Amino acid sequence: MARFTIEIWGEMCPIPLIKAKNKLLSMECGDILVLETEHSCTSRGIVVWAKANRYLIEEEEVANGIWHLELTKTHD
Amino acid sequence: MKKTWQTIIHGPWAYWVGAIILGMLNLLVLIVRHQPWGVTQNIEHWAEWIGTNLGVLDDQGFTFMGLMTSSGTYLNLGLLMGAFWATLVASQARFRPIRDRKFFLSALIGGLLMGYGARIAYGCNVGALLNGIASSSLTGWIFAIAVFIGTWLGSKFLVKYLL
Amino acid sequence: MGTNAFHSQQKWNLGFIVFLTLLLVLLAQISTNLTLIFVLGISLGFVLQKSRFCLVSALRDPILIGMTELTRAFLLLLGISILGFALVSWGASQRNIPLILNVFPLGVHTVVGGLLFGIGMVLAGGCSTGILMRIGEGFAMQGVAFFGLVVGAVLGERSLITWRNLFGEWSGIFLPDLLGWVPTLILEIAVLVTLWQLAKWWQKKQLGE
Repeated sequence: MARFTIEIWGEMCPIPLIKAKNKLLSMECGDILVLETEHSCTSRGIVVWAKANRYLIEEEEVANGIWHLELTKTHD
Repeated sequence: MKKTWQTIIHGPWAYWVGAIILGMLNLLVLIVRHQPWGVTQNIEHWAEWIGTNLGVLDDQGFTFMGLMTSSGTYLNLGLLMGAFWATLVASQARFRPIRDRKFFLSALIGGLLMGYGARIAYGCNVGALLNGIASSSLTGWIFAIAVFIGTWLGSKFLVKYLL
Repeated sequence: MGTNAFHSQQKWNLGFIVFLTLLLVLLAQISTNLTLIFVLGISLGFVLQKSRFCLVSALRDPILIGMTELTRAFLLLLGISILGFALVSWGASQRNIPLILNVFPLGVHTVVGGLLFGIGMVLAGGCSTGILMRIGEGFAMQGVAFFGLVVGAVLGERSLITWRNLFGEWSGIFLPDLLGWVPTLILEIAVLVTLWQLAKWWQKKQLGE
């Protein structure tokens, strides 16, 4: 149940999602990946992608126009 | 009820909801303007006018009054303001600076390529692709295929240089 | 996690609404048509931002990520537009209203332009519509891209004549002239439905089961 963070601050679509995808490969089931972005489309894209992959995803707007995402790797 | 309102204000709306409303608005633009929605041509006209006034470009006959009464100006200005308003409504407005020099370069190069490509093909994603196809023009379909291949090439560059 | 640093911007929002209303009232004194266009422009920007609609994403994500949700929404938008444009142009011809459709000439530069545009929009993080929308959202990066777009557009417009002279160009083919209205619409919708199915299959294949 480890928590991982990757730095995607200020990165343009779709780089955050590709990075997240690669990071997930090295993670165990049940691990959590934490992401933070100020890009509305990036946040949305990751949520849609995670849902399509049946991962657990939580999206919260922590400040004006900043989204905090927590993705749980529920399966391999 | 409150939750629905929250979603409307904060978004994101489902993609298909956006598609349907955008489709309706696209039709309304055609009806009001007697011409489909387009973006880059008007930007180019403004650039010609500014360039002429700065003495960089030779005069192509664009006047300030002519530009201020052209419908494209209001579509583009409205688009920008509408997007800003949409972020403001949801209290999501903020300045988002460039955090890395590579994005400055990629934006500049990308913008140049895009502007050049759009003008030699008579339109951008909206004018030539979406509304070219919507106008049942063969050119629109061919442009769409070219853009798709270009996107594929661009993705290769993106993975190679920006990732 | 952490503290919630969310501040309401409703005061600014109200101020901006007043500003927009004043602008619209002022414009209405000059031209009703332009006022309507301005309202439509604002609505387009609003909806694009709220639904996070992005034409770059629609074309790029199938390639890079294997997601086609937005691609399918874009196909829906195309379908609505094709049928709607047919209806509007039929209505206009009934009432003898002149209507310009985007039937552009076809040439080598159409393909070259498309390729360059495709590469450019991926690198710039938005097509021309997306750039305007993201400037509205406050992105500095797309502001730079906009500057590039302006310069590129001028260069493109001025080199168009060279492209024409070098490779020539054919006048655009309006498909209904060639096939008739009904077959054209059936053909186009059939292509869109096929692409829809393909996109659905692609996403399933890419994500795996």
